[in-house]
Amino acid sequence: MVNRVIDRRSIMDVLRTIPDPEMPISIVDLGLIESVEVAPSGDQSAVRVVALPTFVGCPALDMIRRDIEDRVGALLGVRSVEVQWVNEPPWSVDRISAAGRESLRAHGVTVPDPGGQLAGSGAATVALTVAGAVPCPFCGSIMTRQDSPFGPTRCRMIYYCDACRNSFEHLKRV
Amino acid sequence: MPDLPEHLTKPFVNLLLAAADDKLFLGHRNSEWTGLGPILEEDIAFSALAQDEMAHASALYELAGTLDGRSADQLAFGRKGAEYRCAAIVEVPDEFDWATAMARRLFCNHFDVLRLERFSHSAYKPLSHLARRLAAEQQAHVQHVDDWMVRLGTGTPESHRRIQQAIAALARIAPQLFEPVESQDQLVAAGLYPGRDQEMYGQWCREIEHVLGRAHLSAHLDAFNPEDRGGRRGVHTVHLAAMLDEMCEVYRLEPDAAW
Repeated sequence: MVNRVIDRRSIMDVLRTIPDPEMPISIVDLGLIESVEVAPSGDQSAVRVVALPTFVGCPALDMIRRDIEDRVGALLGVRSVEVQWVNEPPWSVDRISAAGRESLRAHGVTVPDPGGQLAGSGAATVALTVAGAVPCPFCGSIMTRQDSPFGPTRCRMIYYCDACRNSFEHLKRV
Repeated sequence: MPDLPEHLTKPFVNLLLAAADDKLFLGHRNSEWTGLGPILEEDIAFSALAQDEMAHASALYELAGTLDGRSADQLAFGRKGAEYRCAAIVEVPDEFDWATAMARRLFCNHFDVLRLERFSHSAYKPLSHLARRLAAEQQAHVQHVDDWMVRLGTGTPESHRRIQQAIAALARIAPQLFEPVESQDQLVAAGLYPGRDQEMYGQWCREIEHVLGRAHLSAHLDAFNPEDRGGRRGVHTVHLAAMLDEMCEVYRLEPDAAW
């Protein structure tokens, strides 16, 4: 019999490969993972992943749970995987990593900036800071406006850029 | 799960059901606008609002189910009419009058945020944690309806007339939102539903008057008369049964089906 010990790090590596079902970002960069616990279970390990829902009752949660169970469960040495959704601490857009923000921006989705500063990077870097302005993810202009406070999913709003005439999506601040 | 005194479990479940039922039926009424919104943005908005309300209802049913033993589906679709705890204002049809749909959201949204605020201070941690999440999502709803009140109230003579008429009609039943569930005073005393009903009512009136003042509109709101038995104690309008028949048609075919 092979006695395999699985460590937290290899589980995190697997979680980093799981994308959000609706956005081009991994669930780790999205800030969903609160903790990973590994406990011995016979000659293998029982894994418990504590995760935070972005929006309460988001239909993507069940898909994410299944993805975690499938991929972590496929690791050698894992006997069982339990995913637990908790509301405390609350998820917030501030948990999205810098890499995650950049990945979303590259796909035309902007994230409210924690400090009220423009989080421009690369081609989208702008010098101006205007409170409340949402810079266009495509051209960086701040000549943007909210088109609809509701969007294609519960977490997103629709914005429009008057400079490059593109629509884009902006995450709601929760 | 934290301990809940035995004799308060049923009243507490009813308090959770009151909130969940309000959201379920408001969500259902709003979902009736999908594909029929007066403009594209509001079609999207009402579909999104309905999804939010249903999702929040589902989370509250799940929480109630941990105390009551029933599943969220059973609680949402499997109860008899008199077991529901929603207020009359979420039951009445809006007859596809968009002003009525918006006036309903005005009264319900402001009530909902104040109720979630009290929930978020509940001694029952699973509720306080959930309520903080729900309250954060609910802010966008209040912003949406408040903005529209100003747009409609200060828009054209017709938009002003129609929204004022809808507000006046719903203001007659809106205070029934404040009917207490059975033994609510004990839930308040135990810290499970902290705060005072009277203060919450005053705050609700002030918020609505403030919005309507900006919109050049007004509402006459009478305090809830505790003698009136209404939805919070299982006495409903005829509209609830009709809505349940429609909503539960599929569920009742095979209540134990796995989805």
